[in-house]
Amino acid sequence: MSRTGRDPHPVIACGEVRTCLLPTRDALDERAAVKLLRLRPDERVRVSRHPNRYVVSPEVLTGVDCPLPTDTGARVRAVGTVGSHASLVEGRVIQATASFSLPAVGTDRRQAWSYYLVRPGSLVPVGQLPQRALVRGFLLGHRPGRLDVGSIAESVLARISRQDRILDHDPPLTAADTRLRWTAVRTAAGEEPSSLFTKGEDGLRTLELSLPSGLPPTAAVGLCEELALHDWLLTTVADKLDGLPTGAADDRAVLRVLRPLVDHLLHLWMPRARVDRVLQTVWNQLEETPGYSRQWTAHAQRIRDQLALRAIHLRDEVPGRR
Amino acid sequence: MNESVPTFRETSAEPRVESLPFSHLSLEIGHLYMEDFAEGPDRLRRHFDTVRPWADAVRNDVGAHLADARPRVSTCFLIDDYFSRLTTPDELLPPLIDAAAGAGLTIDYLARESGCAVAPGADRTLVRPAESVMHRLVESPPPGSSGFRPPVSRTGWLSNGRRTPAQRSSAALDTAGAAWQPPRETDARGHSVFLDIELWSEAEGERTWSCAFLASVWQLVRLGLLRDNGRALLAPTPWDDAGFPTDWDALPPVLRLNPRAAPFTAYVTCSVLPRRFLPVEHAVRVVLDQVHVEDEPLRQVAERSGSEGFAVPAGVADRASYVFPLGL
Repeated sequence: MSRTGRDPHPVIACGEVRTCLLPTRDALDERAAVKLLRLRPDERVRVSRHPNRYVVSPEVLTGVDCPLPTDTGARVRAVGTVGSHASLVEGRVIQATASFSLPAVGTDRRQAWSYYLVRPGSLVPVGQLPQRALVRGFLLGHRPGRLDVGSIAESVLARISRQDRILDHDPPLTAADTRLRWTAVRTAAGEEPSSLFTKGEDGLRTLELSLPSGLPPTAAVGLCEELALHDWLLTTVADKLDGLPTGAADDRAVLRVLRPLVDHLLHLWMPRARVDRVLQTVWNQLEETPGYSRQWTAHAQRIRDQLALRAIHLRDEVPGRR
Repeated sequence: MNESVPTFRETSAEPRVESLPFSHLSLEIGHLYMEDFAEGPDRLRRHFDTVRPWADAVRNDVGAHLADARPRVSTCFLIDDYFSRLTTPDELLPPLIDAAAGAGLTIDYLARESGCAVAPGADRTLVRPAESVMHRLVESPPPGSSGFRPPVSRTGWLSNGRRTPAQRSSAALDTAGAAWQPPRETDARGHSVFLDIELWSEAEGERTWSCAFLASVWQLVRLGLLRDNGRALLAPTPWDDAGFPTDWDALPPVLRLNPRAAPFTAYVTCSVLPRRFLPVEHAVRVVLDQVHVEDEPLRQVAERSGSEGFAVPAGVADRASYVFPLGL
């Protein structure tokens, strides 16, 4: 393990990504986005402009000392910091991620706090780490008294949402928030990365990843954020198109649904924008089944066709244009 | 596994961090209140006469830890111009420098305490080191902390453990026998020494940082561990003018009085201080233990000190040492 920085070779990484529409009428320009995500005055907000505009806040740490979630009820205490940050895609969709990684070897007792501060985003178990029980327990969700990663991600979102000088809290469309809870374990030597994505109820998704051991946990975070973003986009657009009336009388109601999608969401589809090359296979597997990009293309085409049809119809209705 | 080779980079997406020059040790040879200066030049001379043998001892100790290199030790003196301004720089500084010289000590760097709160930054902006450090506090979690706790940025208090749970003030409610529970120091060895530190106070919207918190910022500045958006903070300004201005704000936050001085920032620090600062410096240790310093400055210190074979403790709080002599 390196002396400072994240442990490059943890055995497990876990986290939760929350995705939602930024609660404001218009998408933020880069300047406002940087201001919004300046969670610390002395550290730069990172901006990437290609292949889309993507702004990332500095990493914020939260100290924890509590039992880890396990599905067997085994009590494993871990001490350290959970890292969290927020990112904004094209000034429109905000994501907050809280994550941590675990080293293979724990300590026999809690160390001085400085020991944990030079391992940002690492939780060090006190005693043995039952890996399988932890992974299954984490995916099951938070239980009282155990580590609560979701509330750490939520507090980042809450902190950002409180900036009323930048946000007007008048979003152009309603969209449900989603949560993606993920775990990443190491693959056996020579194995390809693999994944299992589960879409649950109430906006909860889970992703179980197996990653090559040389890959840093930040690569898993990047993949999960991309997946969460595209899943959110697809879910939101599919929900809006579900039950869209086709009758001619409903033209204006239909336009009220379709227009915000065109104004705010259609240009955001950009799969594999920042996914580590090694992890592209995971994304490609999801493109095979269920085929996210195919579905998105179909939806986008439908929106454009509907708009074209309504435009013809509306033009026909204007008196004197026949 | 093969590392993937980047084919496209964006500088706005990558953090840049300025490197600093480092001495082996930064030696603070005094920190006085304005009231101490009012007692006249004899008071100052007594101060430096007392500090001198300790300063020599610290210097020798650094030399003893270096196999072949000459020890680089820079001295500094912190003036409190934040809490009171009884006199002006042109009245206060010349006798101070003379008194140090009289005792055989050179003040390499002179710093103003208010620079730890607000200082001029690049491009005519202002930097606020104390506020930046406040946002870098990552509280040491008492056992049972699962991720939900009011952050220090809201309360303004930082402790080294778990506070006594809030008591009901009404006697009528106390009949249930809500027993008093003691506070607990998280790293206690058997028994606790619990400390709760006020980082700032506020009156009419104005925030006044506490002496303990500014002293923590001062240690981080000397240790070269702070940056503002990647740029160095409170870099020393050469001062070879014969005189000093009449206004404290006309002075840079850190002055280099000795052109041949070793670098201001150092791998470790030692402060020779009056004993009344003992509680303040205890608080400094507790604060430093909970500051999340950026990776890159830590890495710079680790790499450079490592290449010189100079041992630097991993924990930031352990990089600061103290002498509290009799007579100060």
